[in-house]
Amino acid sequence: MEESSGLTRRTVLGAGAAALASVAMSDLFSTSSLLAETGPVPGVGYFARFGVTDKLIRDTIGAALSKGGDYADVFFQHRVTNNLNLEDGAVNRASANVGLGVGVRVLKGDQTGYGFTEDLTAEGLRRAALTAAAIADGPAKAAPVRFRVMEQKPNRYPVKIRWDDIRPQQKLSMLNGLNEKTFKTDSRVKKVSLGFMDQGSVILIADSTGRIVEDAQPMTTMYLSVVAEQDGRRENNSINRAARSDFSYYTADRLDRMAKEVVDKTVVLFDAVQPPAGEMPVVMAAGAAGILLHEAIGHGMEADFNRKNASIFSDKIGKAVAKPFVSIVDEGTQEAARGAINVDDEGNPVGRTMLVENGTLTSYLHDSISAKHYGVKPTGNGRRQGYEYAPMPRMRSTYMLPGPHKRDEIVASVKKGVFCELFSNGQVNIGAGDFTFYVKNGYLIEDGKLTKPIKDVNIIGNGPKVLELIDMVADDLKIDEGGWTCGKDGQFVPVSQGLPTVRVSSITVGGRAEKKG
Amino acid sequence: MATNHDQNMLAIAQTCISLAKSAGAKEASARAYRVRDVSLDYRDGAVEKISEATTRGVALQLFVDGRYSTASTSDLRPEALKTFIGDSIALAKSIQPDPFRALPDPALYKGQTAADLQLEDPKYAAVNAEEARRIAKAIHDAGRAVKGAEAITSMTSSFSSNLVENWMVTSNGFSGSNRSTSFFVSANVSAKDADGRRPEDSDYASSRFYGGLGDATAVGTRAAERTLRRLGSKKGETSAMNVVIDNRAAGRLVNMLVGPMSAAALQQKRSFLDGKLGQQIVSPLMTITDDPHVPKGFGSRKFDMEGIAAKPRVILDAGTLKTYYVDTYYGRKLKMEPNGGQPSNFIWKLGAKSQKELLSDIKNGLLITSFLGGNSNGGTGDFSIGVTGFLVRNGAIAEPVAEMNLSGNHLEFWKKLVAVGNDPFAYSSQRTPTLVFENVSVAGV
Repeated sequence: MEESSGLTRRTVLGAGAAALASVAMSDLFSTSSLLAETGPVPGVGYFARFGVTDKLIRDTIGAALSKGGDYADVFFQHRVTNNLNLEDGAVNRASANVGLGVGVRVLKGDQTGYGFTEDLTAEGLRRAALTAAAIADGPAKAAPVRFRVMEQKPNRYPVKIRWDDIRPQQKLSMLNGLNEKTFKTDSRVKKVSLGFMDQGSVILIADSTGRIVEDAQPMTTMYLSVVAEQDGRRENNSINRAARSDFSYYTADRLDRMAKEVVDKTVVLFDAVQPPAGEMPVVMAAGAAGILLHEAIGHGMEADFNRKNASIFSDKIGKAVAKPFVSIVDEGTQEAARGAINVDDEGNPVGRTMLVENGTLTSYLHDSISAKHYGVKPTGNGRRQGYEYAPMPRMRSTYMLPGPHKRDEIVASVKKGVFCELFSNGQVNIGAGDFTFYVKNGYLIEDGKLTKPIKDVNIIGNGPKVLELIDMVADDLKIDEGGWTCGKDGQFVPVSQGLPTVRVSSITVGGRAEKKG
Repeated sequence: MATNHDQNMLAIAQTCISLAKSAGAKEASARAYRVRDVSLDYRDGAVEKISEATTRGVALQLFVDGRYSTASTSDLRPEALKTFIGDSIALAKSIQPDPFRALPDPALYKGQTAADLQLEDPKYAAVNAEEARRIAKAIHDAGRAVKGAEAITSMTSSFSSNLVENWMVTSNGFSGSNRSTSFFVSANVSAKDADGRRPEDSDYASSRFYGGLGDATAVGTRAAERTLRRLGSKKGETSAMNVVIDNRAAGRLVNMLVGPMSAAALQQKRSFLDGKLGQQIVSPLMTITDDPHVPKGFGSRKFDMEGIAAKPRVILDAGTLKTYYVDTYYGRKLKMEPNGGQPSNFIWKLGAKSQKELLSDIKNGLLITSFLGGNSNGGTGDFSIGVTGFLVRNGAIAEPVAEMNLSGNHLEFWKKLVAVGNDPFAYSSQRTPTLVFENVSVAGV
């Protein structure tokens, strides 16, 4: 499982990129279509424009169950992605990708059959359904006679200005302005590059129990990268922001802060040193350091690994795993957060799941398969990259609740250690529990004070051990706004993470070692 | 063997070019593609998941009024393509000009190899779902049969295959197509340790040809043995030591060294190899040729993503950097001749010794069998990466270690390479042999 911040670059080839060219990008978030949905409406709203009907869905689910599967669902998706890139002073690359397709899934016990198609005709859907059906081998089961629409779907990403109503010139002005601002911040800045993305994805999920739901999910990311030079040396760094939001997300203030932060975090590297290697206390700054939770516990609590008896947390539910002031949640409810969702990709409602409550391991993160296996309700963690993939348990926004300590008190408590601020990526081995995260910026802590800046160091620990070693938690919880992308089994989904300032009493810092003796 | 269907896809790519030109593009390239993917997972005695689909579409590069955009679509109906290309050209017109964007010089399209690269298994279609299930079960059963298998808590074996087809056309005279198949089998095994940890390891094999997988059940056996060897792992001591990197793992480090050889990295001042052409940057033991013409190679091709004819070239000669990877766009910015911007297959000058002999030579140190997380700063060459493996004592593999970390700077690290094995890893395009380094920094306790 690996995570990274920043844009996920995937080549079109083999990525199942798809498009329906004749469909304009307008209407994606139009108030006249999906978002205005109030009260009982026919099951197929947005997707009617592609010729999708109740009958087509019923027939598809019927074909999917023709070999005796226990359950079947369909996942339609229309996603429009626009990218603009600025390099060497100009917005000189644009790209547009449109994906339209449907995935058909059949479950037989714990077993999954999956097929997908970009051909939304009756014949195309039937072929995909029969592919998925082959997981089972028995008498056909019946599809639902009618569908009922999910009631009281929340609205966690209200869009005021549709991306389609933003003229290209407005985006260009914003990007050119941010470029100039970044150069002006410090004369040592020699290269600035920007990647801007806006995306609209509308999904429809219908299943053999008769549920149907549509959701329109916006996303935008801004990636800002800098190279600076000083005395013939070069340093580089990058930051990014992401939200399920509209153009209004990019306030002048937010852009100013991005420019200042990326330049500060780059030029400080001219003074940075490699930290020493070995075990020492580590203080995680509030915010993006939530990567610690994502790797140390989040993945290990995804119930598919536990169902397969392959996670280090497989037999720990109900047991004390951390100090009583440690509580960890995974939720999808924070308005406009990158990891927020109104409904998961299996059509289940999304709320807040306690992974650890007052130090005790509380709940796994479930999709429908694992929930059935464990005899519990799904937790709304069934997610997928797109229609090309079957869903599995995934995190949404993972963070630790505030604790009893103060940030300054935590820093002051460390005689010799490191303070970690900015991160690029992490990874975990689910079974052994070993995990890493890569620190781009931080400081040495010497005698309770932040001293020299540090750079480019990997930190490696073991999930359950590190949870036990979290011995101070501050009251300054911050959810990071970075564009975090979580990878698992080749599927990438957007997530959020956060943390108050936390102390881990001992963990291995991968600095530079000297030969002993 | 062109079928009618193939000709349709080629015709679609050609249609895209004429639609783009008539809608106002000065130049354009189009690549139509079709990919068929089949996969099957088998876990603990039953099929876990089957998945099968074919996807297809067209990807375009548009050069409009000195501006540049890319676009992709899978709706290949003529009227839909026309609208889409019109919209994409309007998008290109809305951005700022870029004088460096251009199609390659047509002279670079010439000189493709006439050799048969053998990238397509004619028996691809015969490897059906039933065979996938049979082979996945056999791999699983082999792993469950190894000595000590009772400690295994979970084992998943997988089979996957694909058929990738491309048809590429440019408005300045390139036309080409390719087809390739690949087959992949793997096994992932978890076992339970006395302290509750569940160490996991895996093994895999892959080949362009189904027959090239050899005895696939060996993958199951090796995955199980690798996992069971990891039981009882501990964190080793922090120190500078001799390190042997297993041929299967070493490709990740090689990628970190090669990435900054790209013209894009150089032009954007993000390469620690800037200004190093012709200089010795790594150990003289490293001689690597980039050869796109290796029969059945995973990186093999007759032409690259731009249509430029692929040719073998020396990357490192006795440690000296001989070339960069230059594509058309960044080549024009840097005034460097384009030579294909992507690595293909690496052919290493091999050493004479096996991994076992190399371990025996170093006496004491660390054998790294896999990496975990970590990253490399292509601009400065600093890297730091998690490692698992085994201590080496008295020239032999001793106890397993985990939760350790390797750090360094590429410009120093690769000079510490003191031996290269005779065992290039067959299942990747980097074909890395076992590598031996002395006095490198490893963090642990």
